[in-house]
Amino acid sequence: MPQRTLVATMGTDDRQVLPAMRLMPYDRLVLVAAEEAFESAGFRRLEAIEPLLHRVPVDPYDFLSCLEAVRLAVREASRDGPARMSVGGGSKILSSAAILAAFQEGVEAWYCDPEPIRLPVLRGIRLVEAFAREEQTLGRLVRGPVALDRLVRSAARHGLSRYLATRAVRSLTAKGLLDMQVVEGTTVVRPTAVFPALRPHLRGPPGKA
Amino acid sequence: MTVLFGTLGWRPQSLIPSIRGTEGLERVVVYHSDHAKSREARSRVIEFCRSLGVPASGVEVSDAFDLLHCASQIRSDVRKEKASGSSVRFNIAGGTRLMSSAALLVCILEGIPATYVHDETYQEIPLPLLHVAYGEGLTTKQREVLGFLVNNRDRDFTETSLAKSLGVHKATMNHHLRELERKGAIERLPDPDDARQLIVKPAPGMDLLIG
Repeated sequence: MPQRTLVATMGTDDRQVLPAMRLMPYDRLVLVAAEEAFESAGFRRLEAIEPLLHRVPVDPYDFLSCLEAVRLAVREASRDGPARMSVGGGSKILSSAAILAAFQEGVEAWYCDPEPIRLPVLRGIRLVEAFAREEQTLGRLVRGPVALDRLVRSAARHGLSRYLATRAVRSLTAKGLLDMQVVEGTTVVRPTAVFPALRPHLRGPPGKA
Repeated sequence: MTVLFGTLGWRPQSLIPSIRGTEGLERVVVYHSDHAKSREARSRVIEFCRSLGVPASGVEVSDAFDLLHCASQIRSDVRKEKASGSSVRFNIAGGTRLMSSAALLVCILEGIPATYVHDETYQEIPLPLLHVAYGEGLTTKQREVLGFLVNNRDRDFTETSLAKSLGVHKATMNHHLRELERKGAIERLPDPDDARQLIVKPAPGMDLLIG
């Protein structure tokens, strides 16, 4: 039996979580919040209603760790059935990270503060879908600055023609993952500052059954 | 040349690292609320920009506590700059949570590089966003159908009447609508006047995706 999960971000009060619980039917509630929020009166009230709720503690002032924690919580929830998110609670950083996670994981999300507003997330369209096969192959080969020619040769060993590899470099550059510069007559490809955070979305080839 | 947009709360420090760190800075636009401290922060940012010789302007968000209103206003400004050929980046660190969320939403939808500034270290941190418009997750035809529904939200369409309005075959329309429904972009609601019919409506929030 698939389980519907509601993943909600929370601060120290339950003002944003309660409307989401009323709005979205769920079988399992996952709360993402700072450690101290789990000591709050708001949390105790929620725990009284939902004793089996699952806690995901985060550092609410670190955007990237919040993003990763929410993404993992959503992925785990999606394994058991449909997941939905309420992203209005918690610190500004946690709330923003949850919005980004919803778009990256293609999960329906509502901003409840306290009036519910649905965000225009396309369900099931995950970030990985934004990358063509050749972009994924080439992106996985980039570890640091590398000469374009060398990268293209390396891509050839993974089955990409020169044309496809060059096209993938150009499109990954346009998407903001790579940067190209001419250094002493050689074109050098470098990962941008956002590349490490987006790299996990360049999934590997499908494994054997 | 780059136009830097930023949301601003009470602390100019949340924006200044981005002003310092933007290459080829052409102009700075800050969104702030009508709170006196927010206006004061705007003045300090403008003064800082003036000392660098960079033009800066403030946009007082009339209702800093309405997500959709905020996002629409920001998106319209951002699109104007993009249309004029400027490169655009956004610092979403300051402002109310709602203003900051609205700015992030615009950055995701429009594919704009965004950063935030750490509260304690004042280090500028780029957000992992793709520089492609999010609406590209839909095909051209799906965008066309959804755009038509959004622009005619007040009217009721069945699958058949929608196919007729857009001049496509019923089966083709059925295919587009099934895909849009799967992605959560439309809803089919019972027709109050005819129990055999379903009315097709854009899902809430899709105005922002298409508008």
